[in-house]
Amino acid sequence: MSNATDNGSLSLVLVGGSSGSFAIFEEMLRLVRNPISFALIFVLHRGKSSTAVLPQLFKNKTNVAMSEPYHLDPIEENSIYFAYPDYHLLIGPDKRFHYDCSDKDFFSRPSIDATFISAAVSGIPVKAAMLFSGSSADGAFGMKALAEKGFPTYVQNPAEAESPRMPEQALLAYEKHRVMVDGNLFSIINDILQ
Amino acid sequence: MVLIEYAELEILIVRIREISGFDFSGYARPSLLRRASRYLTTHKMDFPQLLVHIEQGGSVVYGLIQELTVNYSEMFRDADFFMKAKSEVFTYLESYPTLRFWVAGCATGEEAYSMAIFLKEAGFLGRSLIYATDLSKKALTAAREGVFTLGNVRTYSENYLAAGGKHSLSDYYHVAYNKAVMLPELRRNIVFSMHDLTGDGVFNEFQFISCRNVMIYFTLELRQKVFRLLYDSLSMLGFLCLGKRETLRYSGLEENFKVIDSTLNIYQKIR
Repeated sequence: MSNATDNGSLSLVLVGGSSGSFAIFEEMLRLVRNPISFALIFVLHRGKSSTAVLPQLFKNKTNVAMSEPYHLDPIEENSIYFAYPDYHLLIGPDKRFHYDCSDKDFFSRPSIDATFISAAVSGIPVKAAMLFSGSSADGAFGMKALAEKGFPTYVQNPAEAESPRMPEQALLAYEKHRVMVDGNLFSIINDILQ
Repeated sequence: MVLIEYAELEILIVRIREISGFDFSGYARPSLLRRASRYLTTHKMDFPQLLVHIEQGGSVVYGLIQELTVNYSEMFRDADFFMKAKSEVFTYLESYPTLRFWVAGCATGEEAYSMAIFLKEAGFLGRSLIYATDLSKKALTAAREGVFTLGNVRTYSENYLAAGGKHSLSDYYHVAYNKAVMLPELRRNIVFSMHDLTGDGVFNEFQFISCRNVMIYFTLELRQKVFRLLYDSLSMLGFLCLGKRETLRYSGLEENFKVIDSTLNIYQKIR
């Protein structure tokens, strides 16, 4: 497959979370100022019947273009993307989004692992991957895969997460993730997003 | 979880072709990679072990191909799609004396039975034929049996009502040995048969084709070829339905269709 864009400099910032992460995502979007030099991709667990259109919900938070991408849409810098309910969102080596309808991971579709693992093997540089509050072990393997490829990985301090299990499991799977504590959470996020 | 790389996936694709003749080269790599990784994880093996494992050929390779191609499906998946199909498409098709529907990539039959139920409620199942095709023999065998677990059927019942079903889904199946068995009268108008969208050609002309969440498994190039097949299989003014995250974009056939619903991806052939 040919490359979707000539955008040789494309890099990704990946964000995963589940219950207890929504407010952090909202706050994070406030910190995003046009233009950003990367594609910012959010995977938030949501039910298949979730009708909330996140780009619409968040439209007053940032002036960067947001979308729930379609299959084969090129991944572009200075864009924010959200995983769509009931599909796994995969990052292709062709710098396009790919969807997959296979089984759920940890009862979730979209799963964080699916997106993060696909990014880890895509050959596209990952500027940072972050994992926040959630009540399943989804994301732990994907975070480990990204860290082992040498990409910077950050997890929320489990003790401060509304649902500690997700960051906890990520740290159990790989102990060298950088831990973001409440005191510096948004300043770290802000640094990553610049 | 076991992680494999794209270079390994290419080796696997070649070995599967050499051993079984099945060609994955036109399949989109990202989802194939995910499925292959999942296969390794559930079978507790690493990539070199997998290569040795498939040397056995026969049912081992066949099983692997099944797992790499199997599609998740449910009855009345996307209630809003079924509602729209009823209100916009079925009302249009009502006046036709005979109707042919094609569920392309039907997996284990959930969508074909859903169609049959709504056609029955619309009053024209009797003059309709639903062709439901898949490349998996195993999936088709299950589809013909029309047996679903009660746990899944609970979800299907909710979907059915959300999609505007007129009765109760339980009117369309009976329970035996803790499973739901779809009524034989629904099956009477469904033809389940083997068809490979990537290799087989046009076999009939249809007023309605549903090919939802199938295109996402093909590469851009193969996808164009499959779109052509669907286009050629549609009668003029026939309808084409794609999955929620799929579009006609990059198909090369955008000009030949009118958009009926851009969110639910329902299109009508106009030239």
